[in-house]
Amino acid sequence: MAAAVPLLHTRSYSLNLFGLISRIQELDRGLMNNDYHKATARRLEHEAPSPFSPTEDAILSAALAHVPTHGFTTTALTHGARDAGYLDISTNLFPTGAFSIVNFHLVTQRLALAKHASSLQPHADIATNIRSLALHRLHANKPIAHRWQEALALLSTARHIPTSLRELALLSDELLFLAGSTTVTSAWYTDRAALAAIYAGAELFMTQDRSKGFAETEEFLTRRLEEGEKVRGGLDMVGKWVGMQAGGLVDGLRSKGVWI
Amino acid sequence: MNVAITSRSFFGQALHRPTPFLDFLLPSFTIPSSRTRYAPITSSSASPNTEPSPSSLKSFSSNKRRKPLSKTQREFLDRGLRVNQAGELAATLIYTHQTPPITRAHPHLRSLMHRMYFQEAGHFSTFNEMLAKHRIRPTAMYPVWSAAASVLGWGTGLMGREAAMACTEAVETEIGGHYNGQVRVLLGWVKEMEDKGEEVGEEVRELVSTLKRIRDEELEHLDEAVGEGAREAKPYELLNRVIRSGCKGAIWISERV
Repeated sequence: MAAAVPLLHTRSYSLNLFGLISRIQELDRGLMNNDYHKATARRLEHEAPSPFSPTEDAILSAALAHVPTHGFTTTALTHGARDAGYLDISTNLFPTGAFSIVNFHLVTQRLALAKHASSLQPHADIATNIRSLALHRLHANKPIAHRWQEALALLSTARHIPTSLRELALLSDELLFLAGSTTVTSAWYTDRAALAAIYAGAELFMTQDRSKGFAETEEFLTRRLEEGEKVRGGLDMVGKWVGMQAGGLVDGLRSKGVWI
Repeated sequence: MNVAITSRSFFGQALHRPTPFLDFLLPSFTIPSSRTRYAPITSSSASPNTEPSPSSLKSFSSNKRRKPLSKTQREFLDRGLRVNQAGELAATLIYTHQTPPITRAHPHLRSLMHRMYFQEAGHFSTFNEMLAKHRIRPTAMYPVWSAAASVLGWGTGLMGREAAMACTEAVETEIGGHYNGQVRVLLGWVKEMEDKGEEVGEEVRELVSTLKRIRDEELEHLDEAVGEGAREAKPYELLNRVIRSGCKGAIWISERV
């Protein structure tokens, strides 16, 4: 830490806000190593409990197995209840009906990402990790990809939109956290928004993808992520340039004796 | 003649070292000190003696806490640590922009400004780490606070040494009070855990001691600023009021967004 701090201070005698912020980002990137972000690190002394009760879990996972044949419908839910050894009436546990299968799939697959994260390369950069994790998450949709349009339809109905957006935000946050991102500036928000948009785009593309092993979806995702990096890099450069110019101007005026 | 000498030496003494009871002979241009209202927290850089320091804070068992923190406790920490990070960001920027004009006019303040800056930068990176580790989002007002803090630092820096120190005093008073509140709540949790016979987790213990250390350093800055003449700033009352209400507002907003 002591070695990193002077970095922040080298040219602090100016008003270069953008430069300072990007230097702060460099600083906290440098400070944090990957060990810090083992998948085990959760919120402060708190292990997330499973969001589903054992009964719900049994019925919904059995229902998910019927989705490839029956789609995201109440029929699949009823079949699931029967398979799990419950009466047909027990589908009343799920007031949102077929949507509860979609939600179950999203939540369980999001939580399952943590397991995959431990198999990531230990010193890979964040962009590689994000790509690997996002691909892993997309591959989890493989068995039900031909039915996923139904799920998207359910997700975009007015009463479910808050849940879907929240779930997308949580997924984006999970991907970035597991990939080892430690940004805690305003880029925290832009990173998450950009990744959510890219992931949602790739998921939509996947529903139309007829290539073998969804190779085209993979390419699509890679291209979008690269573009995102380019845009971010470009904006960073512009910010740095503006910061340098402003700092230079202020320093120049000071050297001429202007009292600023 | 004898009388003349005595009277001259008497007046000489009276003029050079005015004794309190002769004060009324001199015209007073300054506001009597009793009428100036100072900030309510006059601190000492040491932790107050009355602060409880439970024995479990000193035990070094590295046991993990078994029972998770409750939802309200986690929400409190989310909000608290977010505000702390925003506060340290602002402090770093204030000192960054105050330093050039201040050190040019008063080179003897260079070491003080640099020491305060480095301490704030250390606090800032501590809270950055905490936020990343515990997955707490930073405040959405980040760019706004950055701009506001830069303008505040630069502005008070240009107004001169006293104004800059008054700014430090006002900011550190608010932030010191804020940290004090957090430490108080955390110590309350520790006491509750002890009463129930639960293990106080490593992380809570560490958090309390970090917050105490940072709080003490902030209050040191407050003392130093007062020592450097913060209260001689010209519109002292105005500066103090405006900056402190600004801080309060920023804390209130950062807790929420």
